[in-house]
Amino acid sequence: MAATMIARERPQWFDPATGVLDRRIFADAEIYRQELTHIFARAWNFMCHESQLPESGAFFMNYIGEDQVIVVRDRSGKINVLLNSCPHRGNTVCRAEQGRTNSFLCSYHGWNYDLDGRLVAIPGQEAFYRNDVDKNVWGLGRAAQVASYRGFVFATLDPAAPPLEDYLGWVGKLGIDMLAAQGELEVVDGIQKNRLQCNWKLAVDNLYDWYHVKISHGTAIRVGFIGEEGMAPLSQMVILGEYGHGIGGPGVTEAQLHELETRMQNGSAGEPQWYDQFAMRRLDPRLRRELGPVGSRSLGHPNIFPNLWVALTNQVCLRIPRGPFETELWWFTLLPKGMPAEQRREAIYMANHVFGPAGLLEQDDGENWSHSTRGAKGAHSRTLPLNYAMGRGHDRVSHDPSGQNCIETVVNEHAQRWTYQAWQEWMQADSWQELAANHSLPPAGVV
Amino acid sequence: MSALEDLGLHERMLLTFEVEQFLYREASLLDERRLDDWLTLCTDDIHYWMPIRRTTTAKEIDNEFTKPGGMAYFDDDKKTLGMRVQRLKVGRAWAEDPPSRTRHVVTNVRILGIDGNDLSVASNFMLYRTRLNSEEDSWIGRREDVLRRDNGALKLARRHIYLDQTVILAQNMSNLF
Repeated sequence: MAATMIARERPQWFDPATGVLDRRIFADAEIYRQELTHIFARAWNFMCHESQLPESGAFFMNYIGEDQVIVVRDRSGKINVLLNSCPHRGNTVCRAEQGRTNSFLCSYHGWNYDLDGRLVAIPGQEAFYRNDVDKNVWGLGRAAQVASYRGFVFATLDPAAPPLEDYLGWVGKLGIDMLAAQGELEVVDGIQKNRLQCNWKLAVDNLYDWYHVKISHGTAIRVGFIGEEGMAPLSQMVILGEYGHGIGGPGVTEAQLHELETRMQNGSAGEPQWYDQFAMRRLDPRLRRELGPVGSRSLGHPNIFPNLWVALTNQVCLRIPRGPFETELWWFTLLPKGMPAEQRREAIYMANHVFGPAGLLEQDDGENWSHSTRGAKGAHSRTLPLNYAMGRGHDRVSHDPSGQNCIETVVNEHAQRWTYQAWQEWMQADSWQELAANHSLPPAGVV
Repeated sequence: MSALEDLGLHERMLLTFEVEQFLYREASLLDERRLDDWLTLCTDDIHYWMPIRRTTTAKEIDNEFTKPGGMAYFDDDKKTLGMRVQRLKVGRAWAEDPPSRTRHVVTNVRILGIDGNDLSVASNFMLYRTRLNSEEDSWIGRREDVLRRDNGALKLARRHIYLDQTVILAQNMSNLF
């Protein structure tokens, strides 16, 4: 009875009405443990892209929360997500980050698992176990559901999670479509990985943050690596989706797309604009049909809740929690198959130089987030609220006949507020059923 | 220039000494934050590259590093290196303001080969970085450089950096190796 009452207390960490956030959520071991069960174990987590698993036996190691999982294609071509933990003693059965294998052999006592996680051999099964062990029962643990959307493989540990496409909704799908609509993608070999001393949510909320760019990344502008106008507080679009998905960042108008198209047809006569680089790929009518009338005008950053950032550089970045105070960033670069060599070289140059630990932009981010995390630890500082109120009450959701609703405004914090509101709903729900019944629908009217 | 195997011990010692002194001087320019001076030691066609390293099984160890032309932590030409150097001078380069304190320790210097004016040189390094009051990072690895003799003086024409870490255990790599 008492336990039920405690569970029902429903702490309010974030107040959507004021945009005020309790910063203790960035530095609390108990909250972190609850995130592992209430968010990461329930959500559909990005595992890898299908192109990373070209044949049977190909595997890629990832995490669902702190559960290490092996994503592997089996002999039937199916992708399995297996817990990297032998049911005999709990030891790992795979220690490489990626590669190819015929089976997973535990280094402790030699229990051997097939690519689909079935236990196929136990040393001493007859002599020591006297055949008194049921191999059908003692296979590797596995994700409850595994599914792909346009080659992006996701997994959830929760059998009650809705199907992947329902989970993504139109906003999550649009986020992936922004990359996938370019054609069949393949991951460029090499995932950049580095570890920060920050809470994972601070890394996530930053991907929507077009307020910090000129301050944190001003040097990249001043040395001519990126254009100032593209990073300035220009017209912004925010698209909010169920369960915390969102897209936030610059947007262009139909008129601007038309202007760019005319300029291209006239052999680039006319002034270059800040949006050229990213809006160029939105001129393809097939792509615009796929992204829709509003989606094709957004040049923003999607986040697939909880932690997959889809970046305009043809990359996705996972923000993987490694404890309440540590986060790993994993950058995957995805380019269309058959991309002309020169374009491919340029795309890889951008991917290697914008983000990643040595990236000309990203190297200045880490300390902001680690110090924000530290700022949530002090006996006094942790009691002081944080201000996520920019633009609250000043904007309106515009309704598009296509159903692609969005907020068109200046630099703002709508998507960050939406993230923390959704995060709180995930944390308050005791089950998928409860989350599905009680989560907020994307707002209408004034936001 | 003759091939390495044609040189006598004495000539190899002199050449090794010259190479070592170049590497030490270059390291000290980095540690003294004299990056403009460091940049003048680079040839105009320098390739400065740090591939991504992965944990693989012994059987697949040939796939440990990404290949040139693919994803990397550094894949710089002189222009991009110049941006990294310039970045620190224009103000608000937060990762290096306040500046980090670094120390490059360069060891195990070996000349691997001579090809015309190019010397192929391997070295091990430890780069220690501390910043603010108590933050510390260190990287250990191997470098494979090409030093080119240009009007008598050595210049850095290629630096390939092979770190021993796979996951980079640092919030950034805002420094040069």
